[in-house]
Amino acid sequence: MLKGFTRKFKPLEILTEEQVEAIHRGTLEILENTGMTFYHEKALKLFEKNGCKVDFEKKRAYFPPALVEECLRKCPSSFHVKARDPKSDLIIGGDTLYFTTFPGMRTVDLDTWESRVPTKKENDDAVKVLDALDNLHKILCYTPYFEVKSIPPITAIPESVAAKIRNSTKIQLTGYSKDCEIFNIKMAISAGTEIFGQCCASPPLTYYGDAIESAFRFIEAGFPLHISTGDVFGGTAPATLAGSMITNNAEIIAIIVLTQLIKPGTRVVAADFVFPQNMQTGSPAFGAIGCSLHHVMFNQIWRKYGIPTNNASVGVSSSKKIDFQCGYERAILALLSALSGGNIIQLHGGIHGELTYHPIQSILDDDIAGMIGRFIEGVEVSDETLAIDLIEEVGPIPGFYLNKEHTRKWWKKEQFVPKAADRLTYPEWMKKGKKSCLDYAKEKMDEILATHKPIPLTEDQDNEIERILEEARKYYQERGML
Amino acid sequence: MSDEVLKNLKKAVIEYNAEEAASWARKAVEEKIDPIKALDVMTEAIRYIGDGFGKGELWLPDLVGAADAMQSAMPIIEEEIKRKGAKRESLGIIVIGTVYGDIHSIGKTMVATLLTAGGFTVHDLGVNTKAEEFIEAIKKYKAGILALSALMTMTAPEQKKIIAALEKEGLRDQVKVMVGGGSITQEFADSIGADGYNPTAPGAVKLARSLVGK
Repeated sequence: MLKGFTRKFKPLEILTEEQVEAIHRGTLEILENTGMTFYHEKALKLFEKNGCKVDFEKKRAYFPPALVEECLRKCPSSFHVKARDPKSDLIIGGDTLYFTTFPGMRTVDLDTWESRVPTKKENDDAVKVLDALDNLHKILCYTPYFEVKSIPPITAIPESVAAKIRNSTKIQLTGYSKDCEIFNIKMAISAGTEIFGQCCASPPLTYYGDAIESAFRFIEAGFPLHISTGDVFGGTAPATLAGSMITNNAEIIAIIVLTQLIKPGTRVVAADFVFPQNMQTGSPAFGAIGCSLHHVMFNQIWRKYGIPTNNASVGVSSSKKIDFQCGYERAILALLSALSGGNIIQLHGGIHGELTYHPIQSILDDDIAGMIGRFIEGVEVSDETLAIDLIEEVGPIPGFYLNKEHTRKWWKKEQFVPKAADRLTYPEWMKKGKKSCLDYAKEKMDEILATHKPIPLTEDQDNEIERILEEARKYYQERGML
Repeated sequence: MSDEVLKNLKKAVIEYNAEEAASWARKAVEEKIDPIKALDVMTEAIRYIGDGFGKGELWLPDLVGAADAMQSAMPIIEEEIKRKGAKRESLGIIVIGTVYGDIHSIGKTMVATLLTAGGFTVHDLGVNTKAEEFIEAIKKYKAGILALSALMTMTAPEQKKIIAALEKEGLRDQVKVMVGGGSITQEFADSIGADGYNPTAPGAVKLARSLVGK
């Protein structure tokens, strides 16, 4: 099992009990009175059968508060997810923190910072790098890239799922579109791994058929579900943090009701994927501190619901380069998510606004994850760490700690040593070619690609993956989509 | 009195007040004010907001608010123009929309608003628009430019389908096609045979002007 990091102190909370209650009551009110649109007949019928008022003409379901609260209670507060190698299993929830990736549509040229479509080999290599990173526990959908040379868009998701199953043992979240989840589920079963399914709202307060069909398929296959919204506050949600929390939570909770009606006890992760509206460009404001205000509130409220959280808006910047802005935005956002008790943080690899990703960024992010992870593990206070006997023994100068057994035993537990940071003395830095963290990350990537060998699938499993991909291609050809 | 009505119509658009804008537009019709003049003051108002936006003094909520106010007054004025058989001066007629399968509206609305401010007559078909709806609107409004938006990689190919539909209908020679949206590149625009691409909203106005030779 991948242990991740365990927070050893009280989480950061920024809302009073009254404020949490006001947001919860507002959410219930919207679910009951405004309701939500579902372009999915089967879901509407299931809601109606279980006591929701449903307007079939408007495709709108209205949720009674008692049903909502009952369904929230039925979700497990922590759960086990099985990987194809038990060493990559996850136990999600409680005080555990895991890191996952943030995807990008294309790769980026590290000299010109212009985006370009990666090759299949670059895509596979980027997954291998993720497999090798110590502080990366789970891989997201569309990761690393949505666009890969020679792969048509219609089969991009199944091809991406296959690339991750083949090049990593880590558990992945998978996307959905035009029935592709049928093949994603088959591949996961054949490789002996669980995968996360996904269901995303189209805010405000709407779910299209593809999203709901995906939820049904994953739940019926017995897999856990990741629920997210993509609210942009000021655009598709109210401009206020509290108001956007209500629409965001209402959208997630509607799917939680659906999951628990389909199969009680279904494992879910509530993902906060929100951005303030960039009022100049019309894009989401990536890297904005508003993301953290939202995530921190979200973690507090969902801890009360007893449902594991994913903070999704972290590893993506408004900057186009791996530079100072890109670094401070993601580091501040990741730290605040960790301090406030988020269970999964989407950090590794994403650079600009869902457009670009680079494995070197994922290596740099692994150091951010390591620093933050070390911080939340806190301080151990025991007879041994207080070291009273040792302090008495060493005494004042010429006393010295570097040569002590206690130091050899403890320093590595107490410190975090980054893999790609420049920590040299000035003369050494001069002598070794004035390298920066970016240079070290490049070297690290070369080293990983030269030496790291992900645990392969068996030949039979690999053939089966290929057969399922071929089945997917045929499926889309028959429908004139390929 | 007619100056007063026009002043208030303009003010209503500048102050993002959709109700007031519609009400002053109705008043303009009642008082038999030249509808072309009413249209001119609204265009001036949108241009004022568009300029402010371009300078970074105004923001998207201002742009969208003013566009909404103008949209609410527009049908009233347009009907009057049609009834009187008046001729409006315009750089060109544009049909705009986000393609089928894609519900992203912000970029498309920004472009539509700035095109209006730039002196074009714009018919916004909204989001999730099918190829046949674009074709129908081009015929109905006798549009010279078709502006297509697609944010996602998965929906970008829809733009190609629409261009193919234009060809099938024998409309391709009469209509210039401009494309945009988050996932679109110049390379993609060239590959589908579009007449123009620009990644920004103000750039789209320049592009439209160049497409009509102005």
